[in-house]
Amino acid sequence: MNQKSFLRRLADTLIQRWVGHAYIEEFLGDLDEMYEDRLAVKGKFIAEGMYWVDTIHLIFGFPSTVKKQNQTMFIGNMIKISWRSALRHKQFTILNLLGLTLGIATCLAIGLYVYEETSYDTFHANGDRIYRINQPMIWGDWNEQMPMIGPGITEAIRTDIPDFEEVTRIMNVGEHLMQVTIDDQATHFNESKYYVAEDNFFKVFSFPFLKGDPNSALKEANSMVITAATAKRYFGDMDPMGKLIEAKSPTGTHTLFTITGVLADIPTRSHLQFDMLGSLSSLSEFKDNRWTWIFTVFGTYGMVREGTDVAALTDKLQVLPPKWAGQTTQGVFNQTFEQFTKGKPWTLYLQPLRDIYLAKSPGFNRFGPAGNPQFVMIFAAIGLLVLVLSSINFMNLSTARSSNRAKEVGVRKVLGSEKNTLVQQFIVESVLFVAVATVAALILVQLSLSAFNTVAEKHLTLLVHLTNPYFFGILAAFILIVGFAAGSYPALYLSAFKPAETLKGKLKAGFRGTGIRNGLVVFQFTVSIALIICTLFVQKQLTYTRTIDVGITKDHVLQVYNMHQLGEGADVLMARLQTNPVFTAVAKSGFLPPNVWTSDRYRAEGPDQPVVDIHYMRCDENYLPLLQAEFITGRNFDPANAADKYNIIINEEAARTLGYGSRETWGDRSPMGKFVVQSFGTEEKLQIIGVVKDFNFNSVRQKIGPLLVMHNDNDKHWSYGAGFASYLSMRLNPASVENGDELQRIIDGVKTEVAKIDPSVTFQYSFMDEEFDNTFREEKKMSAILNMFTILAIVIACLGLFGLAAFSADQRKKELGIRKLHGASTHRLVFLFSSEFTKLVALSIVIATPIAYLLTDYWLSNFAYRTPIDIWVFIAAGLTAMSIALFTVGFQSFSAANANPVEVLKNE
Amino acid sequence: MSRVIGELEELILLAVCILDGDGYGISVKKEVERHTDRSILLGAVHITLYRLQDKGLLESKLGGSSEKRGDRRKRLFRITKKGMEQLRASQEVRQKMWGLIPQLKPGS
Repeated sequence: MNQKSFLRRLADTLIQRWVGHAYIEEFLGDLDEMYEDRLAVKGKFIAEGMYWVDTIHLIFGFPSTVKKQNQTMFIGNMIKISWRSALRHKQFTILNLLGLTLGIATCLAIGLYVYEETSYDTFHANGDRIYRINQPMIWGDWNEQMPMIGPGITEAIRTDIPDFEEVTRIMNVGEHLMQVTIDDQATHFNESKYYVAEDNFFKVFSFPFLKGDPNSALKEANSMVITAATAKRYFGDMDPMGKLIEAKSPTGTHTLFTITGVLADIPTRSHLQFDMLGSLSSLSEFKDNRWTWIFTVFGTYGMVREGTDVAALTDKLQVLPPKWAGQTTQGVFNQTFEQFTKGKPWTLYLQPLRDIYLAKSPGFNRFGPAGNPQFVMIFAAIGLLVLVLSSINFMNLSTARSSNRAKEVGVRKVLGSEKNTLVQQFIVESVLFVAVATVAALILVQLSLSAFNTVAEKHLTLLVHLTNPYFFGILAAFILIVGFAAGSYPALYLSAFKPAETLKGKLKAGFRGTGIRNGLVVFQFTVSIALIICTLFVQKQLTYTRTIDVGITKDHVLQVYNMHQLGEGADVLMARLQTNPVFTAVAKSGFLPPNVWTSDRYRAEGPDQPVVDIHYMRCDENYLPLLQAEFITGRNFDPANAADKYNIIINEEAARTLGYGSRETWGDRSPMGKFVVQSFGTEEKLQIIGVVKDFNFNSVRQKIGPLLVMHNDNDKHWSYGAGFASYLSMRLNPASVENGDELQRIIDGVKTEVAKIDPSVTFQYSFMDEEFDNTFREEKKMSAILNMFTILAIVIACLGLFGLAAFSADQRKKELGIRKLHGASTHRLVFLFSSEFTKLVALSIVIATPIAYLLTDYWLSNFAYRTPIDIWVFIAAGLTAMSIALFTVGFQSFSAANANPVEVLKNE
Repeated sequence: MSRVIGELEELILLAVCILDGDGYGISVKKEVERHTDRSILLGAVHITLYRLQDKGLLESKLGGSSEKRGDRRKRLFRITKKGMEQLRASQEVRQKMWGLIPQLKPGS
């Protein structure tokens, strides 16, 4: 038989200790036998876990039914004593339980969150062999990674590298308008979670099929797989198999798809989220470009053969870019491979599937959600901190209470209790407390989970875990560990009392161990104050980002989407809206700040000019004036000038990047009238007719980059299907939108106008200022959750302080009584009493300030525009903590100071 | 016999009868699980076995060991006369009550 593991031996020791000798032999035998059985069937983890569950069940369950034995101490007896002493000190019991419950509930909720975040993409059968292929951000900072690569890489791998069992590609083709005809009735849906994938997609990913064959569903051109929910949305209860869906792209191409499969709905914890998946072979632009390396819209996933050395495989992949990419760079950019990469290595990375969701880099994902590892770290830290805080509370209150039990301990010792038995008694008590608090915490979490989910935008559930033996194993281990940890100090401290001294009343108990208790209070308040400061700064930064001058007027801009679906009708609509006095300006554009993401490679005309990446935006002549962008020099597009549709306007940063220098140093080298060359394709030349002041066309998280504004009607420039005039923006006359009703009427008016032209167009709108705000969605979410937990931490710290104050008041009532007799005034006593605690809080403030400063400084370094770290925030946080602490102690101090000295002293 | 025994108690008594002298913690647990298709904790079986022994419905002795058990002996349970009577009695109570149902027409 194998050597028993430490955990099992520990369990055996416990059971030997607490279960009668008469039963040990058969119980241990049974446990071993069960273990062997389970080990064979369910694996080591479950077997060990269940070993413990059974052990604990036997220890706690068994003695309650078996009649008394001649042992000195029984668990049952201990429980009885714990119960009695809990009842005797109701206030302490409630404080203790409340604090612990809150702490455990917080930790549990955060634990669920962390579990959810770290268990993405775990359901694929071959998940441990799937890797995503990433490459450097070839359109910008080569040190960053991007998860989108050109289709040519896959073709090269298939030719040169046999180590992959399968390599599959998925492509986000952007929002499409779907049309389905049922009983001659056409219905339209706007679909953004519609991608196309290669025929072997389901060989790599095991998304379960409800209907259809995973191996052949995407084989034919024009076949499509949809999820069950989508099928319901489109076809109701009809069988969707073989039905037709027509997809209309923003560029106006139509593709008719046949449904060849229905998937179960995609699990929430998948980084690939789609509603419909077409077959890649349906796309003509794919067929023409399958060998290119710069058509970077493909998520590419490789499944390696079993037993592959991934590090060696990664090395092997590095041969591909120099060998194959040169054709593309030469053909498209007229640059050699080295010129294109500027000497930087075009590394291909293999990223394990399960790391994708929470990876730090690449930080984005075009096919679903991307997690934020920083948040997970922050919350895990907070969860642990809050748990530690509440455990400290528990320890603190238990030690404080020890004075009241010193006599009990003395009497027990005199009657022959051994030290060991007493230690056991206190540990059992503490474990029981934690167990009760854990059950209460489970209920609390279950009750508040839906609120938490709303704030965190998550789908956490507790109930599913309740049937999981792992979960119970963890809970049991947790109860024991926290119970032992929190109970050990009071247990050892109390059981060490000398009976003679305690019974003689020599030990003014409670005054011992003050140092440790004070230290713990300081720790608690340090954490709370640091949290308050951090929370305030997060709030301050969010407010700040909203008020930053972005260089354009983002308020009162209504934006309507999907205008490309109107075709020629868009101009009709625009003409109608322009006559409406509510709008001071109406304009068409292909992008909307703060979401101008596409960039291309350009250079200034002339010899030896550097090639640079510049973001570009397409719009008509009305858009820049509508944004109230400021021209530094030159002019806007002129509709009367036909040549203007091939001219461009750039921003200051672009002028700098292209090598014209800044406005002050232009002199005779002004960019006006100069030409910018597209450093790809036919090398089109574009003349600069104006320069605008820098404005934020992306989130204010980043500094403003170079921007090139092109006219909507420029038909020489191919934008990879992006940038068509699909948006109509309207600047509202502020005077006509005094209240929400009027605003709603205006929106409804636009909606009616759109429907008059084409009722099939999906009406979607937004406001520019809200879109800017939305770029900080994640931070807002974090801030909301942080607020919640900060409040919890403060509440827990206060509970602890309250308990200690109550205890201290009880200890010092005679001292205060005597002082009063000697003529001390009530407020003098209150001051005297409170100062004991305010000193601790003051110390906490001193410690918390530098810690919070460092944390805040680190967090703010994520942002290009930072709110200053003002001193007043620290002062405010300190004052808040101090007043909360005073308020908590205040009640006790007043009642202690107000007590009638006669009442207090008469018992002496 | 006036006392009625609980469902789990009855199942475990029956399992001990079926096992006819081979009934100990695990074999009883497995037997009950096999027939009822539900899983019960080992502790529950032990507690019930001892409770039944205290009530005088079961008797036990320490018996054979195996290598799987780390050479520890197992406690083998056997039903007593009183136990048998108890089982019969609860069977009869049920039978009687079934007989009193006017007519069995499911669904009406």
